Amino acid sequence: MSFNIIASVVFGIGFGHFVLSSEILQHTDLIIDIGLCLLLFFVGLDMGRNKDAFSQIKKMGLKILFIPFMIAVGSIIGSIIGGFLLHLPINESSAVGAGFGWYTLSAMMLTQYSPELSALAFISNVVREIIALISIPFIAKYVGDFEAIAPAGATAMDTTLPIISNATNSQTAIVSFITGVILSSSVPILVPILINL
Amino acid sequence: MLTRLLLYLFILGIGALIGFKGHLSENLASKLNFIQNSCLLFLLFIMGIRIGVDEKVLSSFFKLGYQALIMSIFAVLFSVLGVKLVKGYILKGISSQKNHQTKDMNKEVTSHEL
Repeated sequence: MSFNIIASVVFGIGFGHFVLSSEILQHTDLIIDIGLCLLLFFVGLDMGRNKDAFSQIKKMGLKILFIPFMIAVGSIIGSIIGGFLLHLPINESSAVGAGFGWYTLSAMMLTQYSPELSALAFISNVVREIIALISIPFIAKYVGDFEAIAPAGATAMDTTLPIISNATNSQTAIVSFITGVILSSSVPILVPILINL
Repeated sequence: MLTRLLLYLFILGIGALIGFKGHLSENLASKLNFIQNSCLLFLLFIMGIRIGVDEKVLSSFFKLGYQALIMSIFAVLFSVLGVKLVKGYILKGISSQKNHQTKDMNKEVTSHEL
């Protein structure tokens, strides 16, 4: 499956670059929205069929909130370390990391501060999503189910949710959705706080 | 964002309800994984097109790709480590949860399809 995922993205990039014109962009939004809704419906079906999943989540209770919390902390610390290697100030690197893969919003929020940093936030978070798409099946197989949610960040509730659901189980898919919602909600709060440090 | 979130919740809920009530025929249930994978790969192809068709994204990718790669690799690595640190505590007392043992039945049956 991992190979198919990589091949689909790479083939799409090549096809988009060499065959299609940029006018197609306006139509891709609609196709992605429809495709995503369809996939989320299938993820829902899986969740409903696995009747144990909800009771397992209930047993974990509020402890599952540690997952988005640790993903947020890990993303920000990781970005600070990455930024340190690139000689970026802490406020800039941490703000880029706090995008949690939501590239449009994090880049938009940093435009006023610096267009260069906004571009870096955009590309870093695009790259994070690509890393997530590729690494989730591997992490699920060799590290663990809950760890597979980590690369996804804010996208754990939408674009990468079907991959997480596919690579793990319904219980992890539910935790993934909750994690994605919490991380997505914290992007508009954390990015301005961190950039003004 | 709220509207989108509600839409996703609604769609997941409808799917979960249908799955829970068992309204799915066995024939469709067995094909679910294949349909899901096909949709997923198509969606990823479209996402690839979006990246490939946008000259601005591609040019800044070549300009900032190295920095972006370092930032995102560290972010991913530390977030995975973070979750690993708390996983034991979260799963404490939940005996039946073991990685990959709770895979949905249809996935086990049809995982060879892709």
